[in-house]
Amino acid sequence: MNSGERALLLVGSPRGPKSNSESLGAYLLDQLRERGLETEKLRIYALLKSDEGGSKLLAAVDRADIIVLAAPLYVDSAPSGVIRAMELILEARGGQEAPKKPWFVAIVNCGFPEARQNDTALRIYRRFAAECGLEWAGGLALGGGEVIGRRPLHRAGRRLRHVRRSLDVTADALAEGRPVPDEAVALMAKPVIPKWLFLSVGGMFWKVQARREGAAHKLHDRPYDR
Amino acid sequence: MKALVLSGAREGETAVDDAAEGVSGELRAAGWEVDCLRLRDMEIARCQGCFACWTRTPGICVIDDAGRQVAELAVQSDLMVWVSPVTFGGYSSELKKALDRLIPVVSPFFMKIGGEVHHKPRYDHYPAIATVGVLSRLDEESEDIFRTLLERNTINLHSPACGAEVLSMDQTPETVEQQIGSLLRKVGAKE
Repeated sequence: MNSGERALLLVGSPRGPKSNSESLGAYLLDQLRERGLETEKLRIYALLKSDEGGSKLLAAVDRADIIVLAAPLYVDSAPSGVIRAMELILEARGGQEAPKKPWFVAIVNCGFPEARQNDTALRIYRRFAAECGLEWAGGLALGGGEVIGRRPLHRAGRRLRHVRRSLDVTADALAEGRPVPDEAVALMAKPVIPKWLFLSVGGMFWKVQARREGAAHKLHDRPYDR
Repeated sequence: MKALVLSGAREGETAVDDAAEGVSGELRAAGWEVDCLRLRDMEIARCQGCFACWTRTPGICVIDDAGRQVAELAVQSDLMVWVSPVTFGGYSSELKKALDRLIPVVSPFFMKIGGEVHHKPRYDHYPAIATVGVLSRLDEESEDIFRTLLERNTINLHSPACGAEVLSMDQTPETVEQQIGSLLRKVGAKE
């Protein structure tokens, strides 16, 4: 990529500015900016609130040379809002000879510790790229994403240093006109937390949260039991 | 026996609504009590990712709209059928907005299934899941993603059985009927 080219980050989390997806995507976007690219960030869920937002999304996609989607895993695939955005992009671009073919990179994070649980979502994003005339430049999958704690990635601790390294390597490659390298994929997929620790801490996390909400005694309720 | 059929058709996708009605008809003929919901006509907000359905009002989404009704019907059914245009290999945004709201039906706590970590069940009973995908033209990759996605959903939603069929709009009504019949037999909904 030459300087002056444009990278667009689409954040696919419904949580607004403080989300793990935004932490991952924003870190990569910062790295791309440092390497001379112009950058732009949009939050899909905010855009979907109005027709104007949809138009803004499509215009930004048309301007971009690299599109990075950072999204959480919801029920084994993309969150519904991200699917809606992809449907809108397909409606606008599908079957037409687009003036340019931007690169498309997807970063998916899930709460489960295994990065491979994101595989189906990545296949869906790859399929989206193919149907919309985007060039698939690779996908990064992170397990145990909640460890980020919705913090900026550079302040998210040593446990996530391989995640930062993965995004650094990705930024180097994209800025030089190469797709996401295998090294970046492998670094991102490294376990953030051992499974046994996840199982132990994960349970405690929910108990603490429920206690704060005054609902600890209701954690196992079955309101829809028949 | 109760079945919940969800149509994830977007505006104008009559083939998807027709497939949902076709499945519902087959199920009723086989003696099932069926709720068939056209999701695009329902007020269902998108999941906000707040997890309050696990920590503030365990088992119930904090958004008070038809998404709650879908979750309740899901838990109380023996079979769910998700009918959707195959969208990049997955489900349409209309279907997915309802599916994303199903997370309160499982527990926030974790367990291992097949060596992987998943959420524990909240209930003793979950429905079997059948999916019907509609494509304008069959393509292998989309079909494979669609089937794999259901397998993954079945693990996370603790379903006892699953089956997927992908229909193409250029198929004859007889072929479609055969595929739906075969799908319903696969999930034990029909002899």
